[in-house]
Amino acid sequence: MSDSLIDLLLKGTWETIVMTFVSGFFGFLLGLPTGILLFLTRKNQILEQPVLNRILSVLVNVFRSIPFIILIVWMIPFTRALVGTSIGVSAALVPLSIGAAPFIARLVENSLLSLPSGLIEAARALGATPFQIVYKVLLPEALPSLINAASITLITLVGYSAMGGAVGAGGLGQVGYQYGYIGYDAVTMNSVLGLLVVLVFLIQFAGDKLSKRFDHR
Amino acid sequence: MIELKNVTKTFHQKDRIVTALSDVSLRVPQGKVFGVIGTSGAGKSTLIRCVNLLERPTSGEIIVDGKALMQLSNAELAIERRQIGMIFQHFNLLSSRTVFENVAFPLELAGTPKAEIKTRVLELLQLVGLAEKANDYPASLSGGQKQRVAIARTLANNPKVLLCDEATSALDPATTRSILNLLKDINKRLNITVLLITHQMEVVKSICDEVAVISHGKLIEQGSVGDIFADPKQELTREFISSSLHIEIPSVYQERLQNNDNGNLNPLLKLEMTGKSVNEPVISEVSRLFDTDFKIVSAQMDQAGEVNFGVMLIELSGKRENYDAAIQYFNSKHIKTEIIGYV
Repeated sequence: MSDSLIDLLLKGTWETIVMTFVSGFFGFLLGLPTGILLFLTRKNQILEQPVLNRILSVLVNVFRSIPFIILIVWMIPFTRALVGTSIGVSAALVPLSIGAAPFIARLVENSLLSLPSGLIEAARALGATPFQIVYKVLLPEALPSLINAASITLITLVGYSAMGGAVGAGGLGQVGYQYGYIGYDAVTMNSVLGLLVVLVFLIQFAGDKLSKRFDHR
Repeated sequence: MIELKNVTKTFHQKDRIVTALSDVSLRVPQGKVFGVIGTSGAGKSTLIRCVNLLERPTSGEIIVDGKALMQLSNAELAIERRQIGMIFQHFNLLSSRTVFENVAFPLELAGTPKAEIKTRVLELLQLVGLAEKANDYPASLSGGQKQRVAIARTLANNPKVLLCDEATSALDPATTRSILNLLKDINKRLNITVLLITHQMEVVKSICDEVAVISHGKLIEQGSVGDIFADPKQELTREFISSSLHIEIPSVYQERLQNNDNGNLNPLLKLEMTGKSVNEPVISEVSRLFDTDFKIVSAQMDQAGEVNFGVMLIELSGKRENYDAAIQYFNSKHIKTEIIGYV
């Protein structure tokens, strides 16, 4: 393996990590409140709002049904307006974050749904406001399952970012596509695959550990 | 202290309307323990949830400590709820918080300063006897301990009223007794008014001053525990009372039990004493008057308020020709007596 290939793989790995975690962060920034709102506005929940819930739900479903590779292309004008370019790591962050957000929203909604309903009832009986219920009851109680949701999301984003590589997003995906697929270089291609597998394993391992640490049930 | 006036609650289920509570009125005086007893599905859960508006009644009025809760805004209601403690069948503790942090939870909600929280929580854990468990998580506690934490948590805000939603239904008999003792102790010591719902007559019998029976969303009977046990008007009430008294024929007797008297067997009598029964030493009276003897096979007697009640199985012997007269004498003293067989 030549030094230049190692450099290429290191750079690609770093870019993939940056894309995965930064877009994961922004994805949660959008997806977490959306998921909480999806949960709270459901029927029989504390902020029951059937119309708002319906609108949010439809919006989430629409974005979830767009294939990611199409989403990147479709969002190019928006991406350009936001970061000034449609190529490279920072440009890829925009569709990655937007693509992850509705996915995260549903995962968050599901995490909250799996909490025993008696917890909210007890908090209300103790005089908690809806805001206090969210940050003192729902989020801490759902933390272990939210961490699991984060590992699932990050692993999905590793895959998405590699897909983005095919259309100039950088990262391991681009290395594998350009040097491996187009250049027909088996060593590069397999090294990329190996690195992606390691990355996914590390995320899953760290997620499981962290989730367990916060789980007192 | 707690007053419900003509409270009705209906639910929409698909196309039909289900009435969970219909025109329920009750008053719980300050410092009393009031029990509502009913079978599952009778509406008792809805009833207790209406008191702190976890469930909003369709119509009616709810007055706690002089405040009409239905008229309050959400923010006012959240503050008023701090005056109304509540404990649950399944405890509803926060699993992510330690015992200490669970008890601190309502104080955090109310914005109590940290130092004050610490002394108050330790004091409360002392009260419920769990001071040494302060740093444990609820998952490591037994059911009774969890309920104690829940009680400490709900007392943190110094509530005037305590609502108990089947608080002992998930506990074994011994733990149930210790939790009931704790509740009674809190009621006496802190002068907190208690409204509880249950399906167990034992709970009513051991800690309530007053009781109401709920069936199909209606309160069909209410009064002081002594009066209700003395003179139950409704069939359901009688069933609840007799369900708290279990009596079984011992297997040795069961095997020998005959349906008919062949001339030298002794009748096995079942005597039921209710509040209406005469408060006299009737058994020894009968023994003397009719020249008969009694062997007590099994008995369960209890006291609710001023009333002594219970069931007894006795084997009758002595002068055979007086048996009928003896039984009649019992019945004339309002002790319901029947022959369940011959041994």
